[in-house]
Parts: sequence; structure tokens; C-alpha cells
Amino acid sequence: MANEPKKTTSQARERNPSPTIDHDLVRELAKLLDETGLTEIDFERDGQRVRVARHPQPIAGATGMAAAAAPTILSTPITAVEPGKHPGVVSSPMVGTAYRGSEPGARPYVEIGSTVSAGDTLLIVEAMKTMNQIPAPRAGRVIQILIEDGQPVEFGEPLMIIE
Amino acid sequence: MFDKILIANRGEIALRVLRACKELGIPTVAVHSTADADAMHVRLADESVCIGPPTARDSYLNIPALLAACEITGADAVHPGYGFLSENARFAEILEEHNIHFIGPKPAHIRLMGDKVEAKRTAKRLGIPVVPGSEGSVGSDEEALPIAREIGFPVLVKAAAGGGGRGMKVAQGPDDLSNALATARAESKAAFGDDTVYLEKYLERPRHIEIQVLADGQGHAVHLGERDCSLQRRHQKVWEESPSPALNVNARDAIGETVAKAMRELEYLGVGTVEFLYKDGKFYFIEMNTRIQVEHPVTEMITDIDLILEQIRVAAGGDLQLTQANVKFHGHSIECRINAENPVSFRPSPGKIVHYHPPGGLGVRVDSAVYHGYTIPPFYDSLVGKLIVHGKTRGECLMRLKRALGEFVIEGIETTLPLFRALVQEKDIIDGDYHIHWLEEFLAKGGMEQ
Repeated sequence: MANEPKKTTSQARERNPSPTIDHDLVRELAKLLDETGLTEIDFERDGQRVRVARHPQPIAGATGMAAAAAPTILSTPITAVEPGKHPGVVSSPMVGTAYRGSEPGARPYVEIGSTVSAGDTLLIVEAMKTMNQIPAPRAGRVIQILIEDGQPVEFGEPLMIIE
Repeated sequence: MFDKILIANRGEIALRVLRACKELGIPTVAVHSTADADAMHVRLADESVCIGPPTARDSYLNIPALLAACEITGADAVHPGYGFLSENARFAEILEEHNIHFIGPKPAHIRLMGDKVEAKRTAKRLGIPVVPGSEGSVGSDEEALPIAREIGFPVLVKAAAGGGGRGMKVAQGPDDLSNALATARAESKAAFGDDTVYLEKYLERPRHIEIQVLADGQGHAVHLGERDCSLQRRHQKVWEESPSPALNVNARDAIGETVAKAMRELEYLGVGTVEFLYKDGKFYFIEMNTRIQVEHPVTEMITDIDLILEQIRVAAGGDLQLTQANVKFHGHSIECRINAENPVSFRPSPGKIVHYHPPGGLGVRVDSAVYHGYTIPPFYDSLVGKLIVHGKTRGECLMRLKRALGEFVIEGIETTLPLFRALVQEKDIIDGDYHIHWLEEFLAKGGMEQ
């Protein structure tokens, strides 16, 4: 059939999951961070983007590669299963705008690798100035985050995957 | 003009609205339930937003979801289609509160015409002929009886909150009145949450003739002729045509001008249809629908006016550029509503359409959202599409309709195409000699079992 309509949500954009996390790259960047005293390094190669940043204290649930300063890592997701069909997918129950934290720009509730209990807030979907907390349906680990802060979402849109 | 229109509906009317938007160059947003993700208009729209699960209540009737969809897409106008929220004054008001235009009449007029007692009172005030009846609602049986005697039996007990043929009971004589009142009240309470009833004279075998109006909200209005929608089954229209075989030019001009004048006085905005029962040369107002109607294409074919386009234009603040003198009628048009139902039992038949070939050619129009391989979902109405034909005369129109029905292929589901193939052969239909009970009488005496 004719053109696929552009969706306003992430389903319109291609996702290119990288097959693995480049552990060496991340260790090297973390080491650079320590050595240079920088607070943040943002690196992109071959479509994979890695950011290591130093925070005053570790963010709850974030995985750190180093013990002390606990730099956080944002990387492109690693799954081979189509997100919408993954058994651990959490889908949006409503139309609105997704925010990773309690308000625009606030610290995210969860990161990749975060461990959650059933009922923990994963993110907010805001509609008509009402903030709706989206709870984790079950306990587990966040292995994929499919939306960005401030992104419009539709009913049924895959938001995160919890294993 | 609007920057972006969100189409708050589904099926063939959503596609119809989308077509008008495309011709106006206005970007479109299609909202849909999960069951309608593969709908034709969703594929063709510039953007789409899934607003809920299949049930209408959680999707197409879900006002917060619709508002949120406007918010995330930046739509500044909503077209409600027909059914769903199209005559929900509260929805129109909520949109206005959020600076989103509702493409339809002013909320006050939606509310006015939604209350059948008030609508009738207003029609009377504006000089539109009404069915003789109680002045307002009736309370007790004691109150009702003298009123009924004055109107003259048989009388019809009607729900004030009803409409579209629902919530009505006939009382043939004084002995039936009590029972009719009680039943009508109970049904009305259950269906509409309101048991207010009023009385009207029951007309035997009238025709249903309605007048299409278009107005710009600033005191300008025109009528676009009539549609004869007498052929109904369980109060659902099945076949509509214009002009009515029962009216001549003078009768049309007279009732048309009466209605247009009333709309000017009301300062009505948008499209609307004023429905009448017609008997022995007289018109009797029954209700006004403050929205676009399913059968609007029939009027479009004989006037060459795009009603959806005009709706959008006047909603955006455009003046009515038409005067009554500009409105010209040519030829004759008939519409058949084809449903996914067994043509004899009318049992619904949703499912996958494995072969689809719509008719074409001069004067043939098919308004449908189905396509080859489409699956009709079971959650909504059973309309497959509308076959509309136009001819220079009613005779030519009927020939063309017969030809088009013969070509139309819809396989994989049952449809009411055989019903229409039978109707075009019936003498009364060919003569245009029918009334609002005709179709049910035809079906009851086994018209389809030959």
C-alpha cells in the first residue's frame, strides 16, 4: 500500500541495536575520565554512542563499571527480540508525553540495569498537565529503555523491557 | 484555516474527512483503536496515534485520550464525523476550553437539539411545522390522557433524551396509554439515563424527508434540498435518495426556505439536517441532527457541493459564499448502505474480505474504507460502505444502480447487497411509492425469501 504514515512516536524511527556493549571502550573512557579529571565524556562510533559521566553520588540502581565514582553509562539497547513482542515489555496505557523523571529534566526513575520491584515507578506519562506514574508490573531488571525524555507516546507503545 | 485536523472517528467517514483535508492541503492526524491499526485512513493520514483498546468507550469515546492526542500532535481542530462524540456538547466545550476548534455547530445548539422536547419547542418558535403533541414533557398518566385525547389517538410516547428512532412506544387508544407510558419511561431510563417522555400524534405510514442545511454562524444559511430516507429497518436508514419522489419543486423550495430561515435566526454554524415526517402534503418536524450525516453524499451528487469541505471552511471562520440562488440541483441520486450482515436474517457477519471489487463508471461513487484483504472488526457498526449513484433522471439512476449492484463483489463476509438487488426490481421502489414501514412490511412478507 502507499506511504507508511509517519508516526509521531518512536516506532517511526529505526532502531539499530548493536550486538554487544564494547566493554574495552567503556573501561578506556572511564579511565580517561579519572586521569583527566573530566566530568563527562560523550563518544560515538559506528552508530553506537557511549557517554560516561561522573556524578557526585551514584544514581540508585545504575550499573557502574568502576566502583568508586560510579560513572553512568548510556548505550544503545542490546536485544534481538522485537520490543513490542518481548514478554517483559511494558506498554503505555495511555496517550501522552513520556518523561524519564518526575518532571521534565529531573533524574530518571530508572536506567538500564536498574532493579525494580513490582509497583516501582518506571517513568511518567503526562497528558493534559496530569502526571501519571507508570508502575513496573513485576519485579526484575530494566534491560531496555525504548523512549526518550519528552517523547510523545501512543496507547500500547512499548516503553521499557523488564526481565 | 486550520493547521492540522485530528479525525476523531473511524471507518468510511474518517476516510471521507481525510479526503477533504487532503484536498484542502491540511495535514491530518488519524486516531485509532488497536483494532483499527490497519484502517485505510490510518495508512493514508500524515500522522496516526493509537488511542486505546478496541472498545469504543476506551478509544473513540475516550475524551482524555483524544485531547492527549491533540496535545502531542499539535492538532488545532477536531472533526468528529458522525456518531461517537459528534453530538456531544460537552466534548465540543472541552475542546474549546483547550483552544482546539470543534468542526461542528456551536455547543449550545448541539445541546438544544439533543433535548427532543426543547428542540421541538424551538422549531415551533422558529416557524417550523411540528407534529401535534404535548407542550412539553408529560408527568403522570392522569396528565397524559387529556393531552392524548386532544392530539387524537393513536399517539406516540417519545423519550426526550432519545432520538434516531429509539425510546418510542405507540398507544392505539386510551386503554394502551398507561402501559405505553410505563414501558417508554423504563426503556428510556435504561438507555439514556432519563425517563422524561412527551406525546406526539402518531402518523400512519408517513415518509421520512429531511432537509440539509449549511450555515456560517453569522446569520447566513442555505438549504441544499431534501433527502427521502423512508426505507428503514428498525429505524436505521437503508436507502436514501434525492430528490424525494414525493415532492415537487414548489414543495421543496417552501420547506427548504422555512428551514433555512430558521437556521439564519438561530445563527447556526456548520451542517445540519432537519428531519420531518411527511404525510398528505404536510411536513411535521421530528428532530434536528447537528452533525454531518451518513447519507450526505446523495446531496453532494445533486448539488456538486463538498459538504465536508464546507463544514471545515465555515468552522475556520469562512463566510458562507453560497446564496440560495447559487444552489442548483441536477439529476437524481440514490445511496445504498451496504452492511456486513446476512441479507435475510440481518445477523452481523464481521470477518475477512477475501475478494473485493467495487463498481465504477460514470455516475458511480463508492464511499467505503474496506479493501481487498481487510478484516471487518466485530467491535463497531457493520457498515461496509455506501454505494451512491447519480443519473440525469430517477429512471436513469435506477438503471445505473442496478448495473452497479450487479458488478459489486464482496466475498468472505455476508453483505446486504442481495437486499438492494431485490429492491431495485420492486414495483413500489421503481414507482417511488413507499413509506417508513414499507421495508419492514416487505421483509415480513418474505420479500427476500424468493
